[in-house]
Amino acid sequence: MTAIHAMERHHMTGEPPPRPAENFDEVIEVYFAEIRRYAARRLGPEAAADATSQTFLEAFRQRRRYDPDRGHVRTWLYGIATKVIGKQLRTETRALRARARVGPDRDGDEHADRIDDRVSAQSLRGELAGAVASLPRGQRDVLLLVALADLSHEEVAAALGISYGTVGSRLSRARTKLRKALGGTNPMLTLEKQHG
Amino acid sequence: MDEIQMVRDLYPEPAPPSAQVIAREIAQTKAALTEGPKGRSLPRVRWGLWGMGGLVAAGAAAAVAIATVGGNSPSPSGPGGVKLDGKSAFLVAAYNAERQPTGNYWHANVVSGQSYIIRAKTGTYAVTGAASESFHWSGAKKGMGESFNIRDLPVHPLTAQDAALWRKAGSPSTLRVWSGDKYLTFTTQAQKWRVTGPEVGTDSRGGGTFLDGRSAQDMEKFPTDPAELTRLYLSDRGDPAGLKHLTPAQRAGAARLPYTPAAKVSRVSSILGSPIPSKARAALMRALAAQPGIHEIGRDTDPLGRQGIALATDAQTITATGEFGNPKEEQGTYSTRAVLIFDKKTGALLSRQEELVKPGGRYAEMKPGFIIEYQALRSAKWTDAKPVLPAEPPSFH
Repeated sequence: MTAIHAMERHHMTGEPPPRPAENFDEVIEVYFAEIRRYAARRLGPEAAADATSQTFLEAFRQRRRYDPDRGHVRTWLYGIATKVIGKQLRTETRALRARARVGPDRDGDEHADRIDDRVSAQSLRGELAGAVASLPRGQRDVLLLVALADLSHEEVAAALGISYGTVGSRLSRARTKLRKALGGTNPMLTLEKQHG
Repeated sequence: MDEIQMVRDLYPEPAPPSAQVIAREIAQTKAALTEGPKGRSLPRVRWGLWGMGGLVAAGAAAAVAIATVGGNSPSPSGPGGVKLDGKSAFLVAAYNAERQPTGNYWHANVVSGQSYIIRAKTGTYAVTGAASESFHWSGAKKGMGESFNIRDLPVHPLTAQDAALWRKAGSPSTLRVWSGDKYLTFTTQAQKWRVTGPEVGTDSRGGGTFLDGRSAQDMEKFPTDPAELTRLYLSDRGDPAGLKHLTPAQRAGAARLPYTPAAKVSRVSSILGSPIPSKARAALMRALAAQPGIHEIGRDTDPLGRQGIALATDAQTITATGEFGNPKEEQGTYSTRAVLIFDKKTGALLSRQEELVKPGGRYAEMKPGFIIEYQALRSAKWTDAKPVLPAEPPSFH
């Protein structure tokens, strides 16, 4: 079975996910591309393959400890990936610095317009990247699981083995720090403040 | 727009790698799962940020394309296929050996044969003589039954090329060959399964006894740690259980014999032909591969024409003198190695065979890789239903 077929089977037909202890090959086939995407966003393309492979090796070791009651296989894998990535702080910081310099590689007028609306997209990115880089690891992990992996608070809690309340407080602190870092430069945030 | 969305924008979607790149990385990750004991250093691997290397060894010899890496999933082929060296391919086979199911009845169907050289005026060719097929099945528990049957197989040319030379020589139906210390005559006539008589028969109340007298439950407790298996089966001291049938004097004698790599291969092949649990099977394969004098050699083919991943011993030189009345053409020096071939998809043992490495002496006209003698497992597995004797004889080449 190719990875694509495996994914289609699980994501499009709603079939139950593979169980790590029983069919780890299928776990790899279904989730490899997704976890790799997450790793590539956080670490950059060069380190992504290694980190992803490392994530699945780690997951394989722990496969008997996977508890379906505590969350989906996907959530579990994001948790392991996050820990693997967390060991590569320097790579992540480097990737963030690179991100601060270059704009998003997307086409589309709408997006370009939105960026133009900002006072200075470039400096904004730099400050945001710097702010993300200076977040404590726990807060950064929560923030990026929400922002990049679209995990719910419950899922982040399960992935990182922390309580629901801790997810909320870390996310709130992270957002406050980012807002402070950007506060002076982003009219959108000012607007939000007025509404809020 | 909120911070979450801004962070999302800060991390643009990277250009997705091609499906082939993903497929290759998936296959390499699966292969890496077969890594040996933790902490073993693999200096030549490309991956391995924390010393847990992947298996993309540099300068790999005998690269083979992995057709499948686990379960029955067909793998990426063509440009997306994974090239692994013999070592990695073997580890994949070992990995797959861990996932084979069990059932109610175990059976082992073994084909064995010995090659003989026929020096015909029309050209020298090789035949397989003294060939036979055995079929042993046993219920998982005592009372489920047990049976052992044998049939002699007709003498037959070893390879398609040998078959052509045999036809050129007039397709002789009886062949007289030199066998160590005497001449033997074989015929090309097919034989039936022997179901009664000496050495064979069925015990409907038997079953439940496996390797060295273990019960199926004991088999489940077979060690799965390569170090423990090495101590039990691959060190000179050895496991006394394997020598149970010998007298104390014989046992002492056996203990004094050097435990050569070829003897280890032979020992392991007999264990792998028994229903040891898949985890133990995989661990034993890995333990054997780690032995000095034993190497992964990549792909090889057994006498039944099945391709697999092989382990081999270093070559051993053999010299035949005129002793025992060897005719002149049977004398001289050649070297051989013991080879174990495993199915890549299931990790099952396919064959133990002795192969020619350096031609010479009685095998002067044969090529390296020529199979001198073998025991091939035509089938060895658990089934739910009671096994039946295969009617069709095995097909060669």
